[in-house]
Amino acid sequence: MITKRLFIIPFVLLSVISGCGDYGSRDALSEPEPVGGPPLLRRLTDSQYHATVADIFGSDVPVVARFGRALRSDGLISVGTGEAGISPFSLEQYDSAARGVADYILAAERRDKYLSCAPENVSEFDENCATDFVKKYGEKLFRRPLSDAQIARYVDAVKQGSAHLGDFYAGLKYGLVGLMTAPEFTFRIERVDQDSNGVRQLDAYSKATRLSYFLTNSTPDQELLRAAKDGELDTPSGVEVQVRRLQSSDKFELAVRAFFTDMLEFDLFDDLAKDSEIYPAFNSKVAADAQEQTLRTITYQLLERHGDYRDLFTTRETFLTRALGVVYRLPVPSRSGWEKTEFPIESGRAGIQTHVSFLGLHSHPGRSSPTLRGAAIREVFLCQEVPDPPPDVDFSAIDDPEGNPMPTARDRLWAHNSQAACAGCHKIMDPPGFALENFDGLGSWRQLENGAEIDASGSLDGLDFSKPSEFGVALSQHSETPRCLAEKMYRFAVGRDTVWYERSYMDYLIAKFEEHNYRVPELMRTIALSKNFFAIAAHQEHIAELADRSE
Amino acid sequence: MNKTFIFILSLCAPLTWADAAIQNGTLGFVVSEFAYALGPDAEETGACPDGLARNLQEIYILESGAKRRQNESEAKFEKRLQAAAKALGTAENGQDLCQNPEAGSPDPYFKTVQGSGFVVEGIDLDGKNSPEDFNDQAGSNGVDNQFYRTVGCSRSFQSTGQSNGFKIEMLAGSWGIVFELSNVDDIYNDEHVDVTISANADPIQLSAARVPLAFATYAKDQSADFRGSTTGRIVAGVLTTDPVDVRFHSVVNSMKLERPLLDARLQASFSDDGSLTGILAGYTPVEALYDVQYGYRNAMAVDGQLAPLALRQGSANGAAHVLGHTCHGVYHALYKNADARPDPQTGKFTAISTQYRFSAIPAFIVDIETESANSGLKQSREYGSDY
Repeated sequence: MITKRLFIIPFVLLSVISGCGDYGSRDALSEPEPVGGPPLLRRLTDSQYHATVADIFGSDVPVVARFGRALRSDGLISVGTGEAGISPFSLEQYDSAARGVADYILAAERRDKYLSCAPENVSEFDENCATDFVKKYGEKLFRRPLSDAQIARYVDAVKQGSAHLGDFYAGLKYGLVGLMTAPEFTFRIERVDQDSNGVRQLDAYSKATRLSYFLTNSTPDQELLRAAKDGELDTPSGVEVQVRRLQSSDKFELAVRAFFTDMLEFDLFDDLAKDSEIYPAFNSKVAADAQEQTLRTITYQLLERHGDYRDLFTTRETFLTRALGVVYRLPVPSRSGWEKTEFPIESGRAGIQTHVSFLGLHSHPGRSSPTLRGAAIREVFLCQEVPDPPPDVDFSAIDDPEGNPMPTARDRLWAHNSQAACAGCHKIMDPPGFALENFDGLGSWRQLENGAEIDASGSLDGLDFSKPSEFGVALSQHSETPRCLAEKMYRFAVGRDTVWYERSYMDYLIAKFEEHNYRVPELMRTIALSKNFFAIAAHQEHIAELADRSE
Repeated sequence: MNKTFIFILSLCAPLTWADAAIQNGTLGFVVSEFAYALGPDAEETGACPDGLARNLQEIYILESGAKRRQNESEAKFEKRLQAAAKALGTAENGQDLCQNPEAGSPDPYFKTVQGSGFVVEGIDLDGKNSPEDFNDQAGSNGVDNQFYRTVGCSRSFQSTGQSNGFKIEMLAGSWGIVFELSNVDDIYNDEHVDVTISANADPIQLSAARVPLAFATYAKDQSADFRGSTTGRIVAGVLTTDPVDVRFHSVVNSMKLERPLLDARLQASFSDDGSLTGILAGYTPVEALYDVQYGYRNAMAVDGQLAPLALRQGSANGAAHVLGHTCHGVYHALYKNADARPDPQTGKFTAISTQYRFSAIPAFIVDIETESANSGLKQSREYGSDY
C-alpha cells in the first residue's frame, strides 16, 4: 500500500501540511472517481465482539474473555485489526468465550428461547433441528447466509458432538462453538463483486457488514441482511435508506463512542499506572470515569447538541462523578452516577484536551510531561506523526534530582533542548505540551511547579496562546484539526490507512465536512454514502489512472 | 462580595488550596482524624496512684481463694473466672449491669485521674479556673476535660489502648463529620463567619492507601438533629466558634449509635496545606456518653430497629472485659465527674465536659438527599433516647 505520512520535521512541516490541499480544478464538493483499497480481513475488536454477541443472543449473555492486546496502526486500532493475526492465547480466549455463550444459551432452563425445535429423544441426533439451528445462527454469526457446504459441515459437527456426548444439546453446543471460533465470525472477511460497469466493489453482505460496524459498532441486523439479500445495497438509494435508519438508531451513539475511544487511545488506560503517593486520588474508578466523562462530553456535544466538532476543544460543559470531582476539585452533589456540569471560567479548564482522560493518560506515573502531551496533541488531534526520540538521548539534564535551579518543565526542557538532536522535535512537541502544564500528571490544576509560576504560553503553528483555555481555541482553529478528524474517521470506517491516490477523495470529505459546519454525523454519513466507501482497488496501474482522472 | 473575594485572591497571590476550596465564600471540610482529646498516660503523670481500673475478672481475682487452685485445670479455672465475672456483673435484682448500670453501686476499682496540675488536651469551656481544670499547652489553667479525668486511669485509654481508635469506623465510611464555613471574607482574619457542624451523610472517600482525599463532595445529614449552625471568628488563622448543640453518628459492632455534644465549639487553625486542625469540645450527656462508648443500651440494628439484646449486652460486657473496666463503675464515675447541665430537681450534673481533637481536610459540602448508606442512620432517632 502506498501511504503518505506526515512526519513532523522542522522547517518542512508547514509546507508538507499545506501541500495537501489542492489537486486540481475538480469541484471539491463532488465525489471523485472511487479509488478504494484492498478487501480486508479485519478481526473484531473487543467491543465489537461483545456488541455482536449481545445483538445476536441478548445483552444478558456473558462474555468472559479478553482477546489479547490490540494492535494500533496508523493511529487507530481499527486499522490494526486488518493487520494483526491471532495468537494462541487469543484463540484460547475465543474458544473460552464461545463455550461460555454456548453453555448459557443452551442451558436447560433457557434453550427454548433460542430454539424453534426440540428432538424427540434428547440422546439422539435430530438433523432437522440441527439444520435449523445452524442456518439461523450461522447467518447471524457469519453475517451472510451459509453455503450448503458450510451448513453440512456444522450440522455434521452437531451430529458428531451428539454421538460422542450422548446428548443432542451437547452436540448443539459443540456446533455453536465451532461457528463462534470460525474465521468467518471472529474476522470480518470482505468479498468482492463487480458492478455493472465492471468496477470492483464489496459484495452486498460485505457492504452490510462494513456499514453496520461503522455506524453501530456491531453486526448487521435482520433488516440490513435483508437489504443485502434483496440487492438494495447495490443502489445508492438503498444504501441511503439504511444509512439513515442506522444513524437514527440508538446504536449510532455506540459507533461514535467506538471511534473516539479508538482515536483517543483509551486502550492505553489498561496499562496506566500512577504513583499513589503523588496522586492518591487516582484509582481504577477514576480511570474508568475519566474515559466515560470524555465520551459523554463528546456524544453530548456532537449528537445531543449536534454541535461543531471543533468546539470539543473549547467547551466547558462536561459530566462528572464524585470520584472525578476530587481530581478536578469541583463539587459533585449527586452521590452516585453522573452529573452534567460546567468547568468554571476561573478553573482555567476548557476542552477535552484538559480532561483527565487526556492529561493523565499522556503523562508519566509521577509527573506531567509536556513532551508526551505535545506529541499526543500532534498525533491524536492533528494527525502529525512525531518520530521516536534518538537512542542516545542524554536525560541527565532533566533528571537532576536536585532540580531547584530548573523548577518547571519548561526550564528543564530548555536545558534538554540544548542538544541539537532533540531540539528539532521538541520545538514541535513542547509548545502544545507547555500549554497544559497547569495540570499535573493526573490532571489537577496547579499554579506553581516546585514553587515557580508556570508559564503556559506559546504558539501552535502560528496561533498564539497564553493559557490553557486559549490553547483550546488555537487547537479548534487549527486548519489540521477538522482535516485530521475526517482522515481518521475514514480510516476507521474502511480499516486501513488512506492511499496516496485518495488525496482527492480526502479533499472531498473535508470540503463536505466544512460544508456541514463540521458536524460529525454528517461526516460519517458522507463517508457511508460515498462510492469510495465500498470501492475495491483495481491493480495499481488502474488506481493511478483513476486518480489521474479524478484530478 | 464573595466573587470579589475570589478575584482578589487570584490577582494578589499565587493560587492556593483556598482558591479551590472556597466556593462563593464558602469553605468546606471533612473530618479526617478524630479522637478524644486526652492527657498523658497514667505512668507519666502519676495521676493514678492506686493503679488502673479493673474488669470484673480482675476484681474477682483479688478475692481470697480466687486464684487458680492446685490441680485446677486451666479450662476449669477460666470457666470459674467467667462465672464469677458474670455474677459480679449482675445486679442483686438479676439485671445485667452493662444494660442497667444504675442498678449497681459505684465501683471502687474503677480508678479515675487524681489532681490536675498537668497539661491535658482541650480548651476552656466555661471561662473559669476550677480545681478540676487541667493546664493547656501554654501553661494556663482552665481546660475542662472531665471525660479525661474519668477514663485517664483506664488501660484502654492509655496511648497504646484501643478505646481511642473509634475513627476506624469513620474511615470505613460508617459515620463522618463535615464543617461548612460560609460568609468567609478572609481565611486568616474574619470577625464573622457562619459555621455549620453536621453529620456526614456520605462515606468518606479514601485513597488506595486509605488516606482521606481532599476536595471530595459530601452531603450534610438531612436531619436537623444532626446539624448545628453557629457563628464564629477567625483571628490570625485560628477559627473559634460559638456554642451550639451538635450530634453525630457512631457505629459499634454494626450497631448504630449517637454521639451528641452540647454547647459544642471549635477552636482550630488553618494550615498551609489546607487542613483545619484543632479541638471540638462541649458537654456530653452522661447517659448518651455511656451508651455510645460503653453500654450500647439504645443501639439500633441496620434495619432501624433496636438491636437484639444479646448483641447489645454481649458487646458491652465483652468490651468491658477486653478494655478493662466495669460498666457500672464507669457509669457512676461519669456522673461523679459530670460538670454541666444540672438537673433542675436534684441539682446533680447530667453532662460531662468532652473534648475531641480533629483534623479536617478541604471538601465540598452540599445539602441534598443522597442514597448514602449513612442516610439510614437518621432512622435511629425515632428509636433512640432523646438526650
